[in-house]
Amino acid sequence: MRDSPVLSLNNLVIGYDAPLAKPITLDVHKGEIIAVLGPSGVGKTTLIRTIAGLVRPVDGSFDLRVKPRGGLGYIPQRLGLVRHATVAHNVSLGARLSVDWSRSMFRERKERTFEAIRALDMEKKASEPVRRLSGGQQRRVATARTLAQRPQLMLADEFLGELDQKNVDTVLGAVQQLVENGTAIIMVEHHEDNARDFATRIWEIQDEHFIDLSIEEWLHQQSKGEEE
Amino acid sequence: MKYRLFGIGFILVVLAWMTLDGLVEGDWGRLEGGLSNLLVFFEESMWPPDWSVLEARSYPVCDQDIELLCSVGYLGMMETLKIAFVSTIIGFFGALSLSSLAARNLMPLYISLPVRIFLSAVRSLPSLIWAILFVIVIGFGPLSGVLAMTFYTVGYLGKLQYEVFEGMPNDPLEAGRAMGLGRSSILLNIVIPENGNHLLSQLMFMFEYNVRHGTVIGIVGAGGIGYYISTYLKFLQYDKVLALLLLIFVVVVLIDLLSLGVRSFVNEEGDVRKPTWLSMVLQARKRKSSFGEDA
Repeated sequence: MRDSPVLSLNNLVIGYDAPLAKPITLDVHKGEIIAVLGPSGVGKTTLIRTIAGLVRPVDGSFDLRVKPRGGLGYIPQRLGLVRHATVAHNVSLGARLSVDWSRSMFRERKERTFEAIRALDMEKKASEPVRRLSGGQQRRVATARTLAQRPQLMLADEFLGELDQKNVDTVLGAVQQLVENGTAIIMVEHHEDNARDFATRIWEIQDEHFIDLSIEEWLHQQSKGEEE
Repeated sequence: MKYRLFGIGFILVVLAWMTLDGLVEGDWGRLEGGLSNLLVFFEESMWPPDWSVLEARSYPVCDQDIELLCSVGYLGMMETLKIAFVSTIIGFFGALSLSSLAARNLMPLYISLPVRIFLSAVRSLPSLIWAILFVIVIGFGPLSGVLAMTFYTVGYLGKLQYEVFEGMPNDPLEAGRAMGLGRSSILLNIVIPENGNHLLSQLMFMFEYNVRHGTVIGIVGAGGIGYYISTYLKFLQYDKVLALLLLIFVVVVLIDLLSLGVRSFVNEEGDVRKPTWLSMVLQARKRKSSFGEDA
């Protein structure tokens, strides 16, 4: 029997005032990696922002069964980094949420911060302000922040964009660590290759229709489409 | 576009001229002889400045080795600087706590609106009126000055701060909220670091402003160099007044230079720092040696 879902969408209708897609009902379980695909403007970002609690659903509801403090990791399209603060400060925001109050809290936070920085290969930049980093490096910082946070559900909006293959591998390696610890991931993706290599499930939004497929079903569909 | 802007500028100047004409009720005769009156007053009463304000006062007896340290100019200026420093620092932190409550992107409307109204009310009274109020309530002296300047700083800096907060990009705030950071944590770890440059720049500006206005509030008895200026004005010792005004001018210029130096380290890009003489010499050497390698 499967564990209880970390996220349940109950007839959820996403959009800003007007609906962008038909009602969605589904569950997300621990360790699942979901890639949200679809053309621009169909509501992929709106879906992520709705689950993050930043946009009100037009109709329906969703149950988020994660810790209110630090249970949800979020990497927005523009990354949400504090540009004028250092890499270490940004990553420590995640660590702050994953370490509970104790006497050794500050030491643990520091350790967790530098563990995440090392995992993303950013040690040399730890004391640099984020605004001086390249787009790709900033994406690695945002990922390190979530890695240090150790959330139960991670939402990421095109966080692999602008990265070369080496960086994609570094970032996905770090995210894999989270998945092994049971984090579920929902990521908006533009590159189908990344979805193919990494995701276990695909959500596709097209012409207001929401399609939920396992990666096998999606790959089968893709190969059928290519044959035709 | 250029002509349109020029046209708007021209209309505004004509409008200002017509308003001024209305204010003086067309009686421009009063300005006649104004300049010559000013020159006579300056030559006969103010010039040359009486620099005895930088000599030790006859009473109380000076116990310092350097005479300047017992002078009216030095003591008054130091008191003004102290009043400005204390009120800027206390006012800055007071403003910070209120501006974080007043920013629309950090707080709901039912909290931000009353705080904004409070800040507007505090700001609507100029520091001079605050000084008069505090002189009435707690008497003459620097404490009235400190309180007056602190209140004004809270009102003025509070507005500047919440406008900066509201202008910051939304994505770090949204990320913090979605992750589950509390309001105070978002303020301390996201909002303040992201706007640190602006806050520091405003702090320096406010200190300079408070030094300049510290001279004015002294006139109503709230301490500082203004107290001495008002005394000399009463006794028609305009040459001493001029000497103190020149002293204020020099100090304000020095603070402006200091503030320019501090702000050059925290501009938006941050990377472009003012070069030091040492770094310039080192770079020149480095360049020379690299040319040598090329050859």
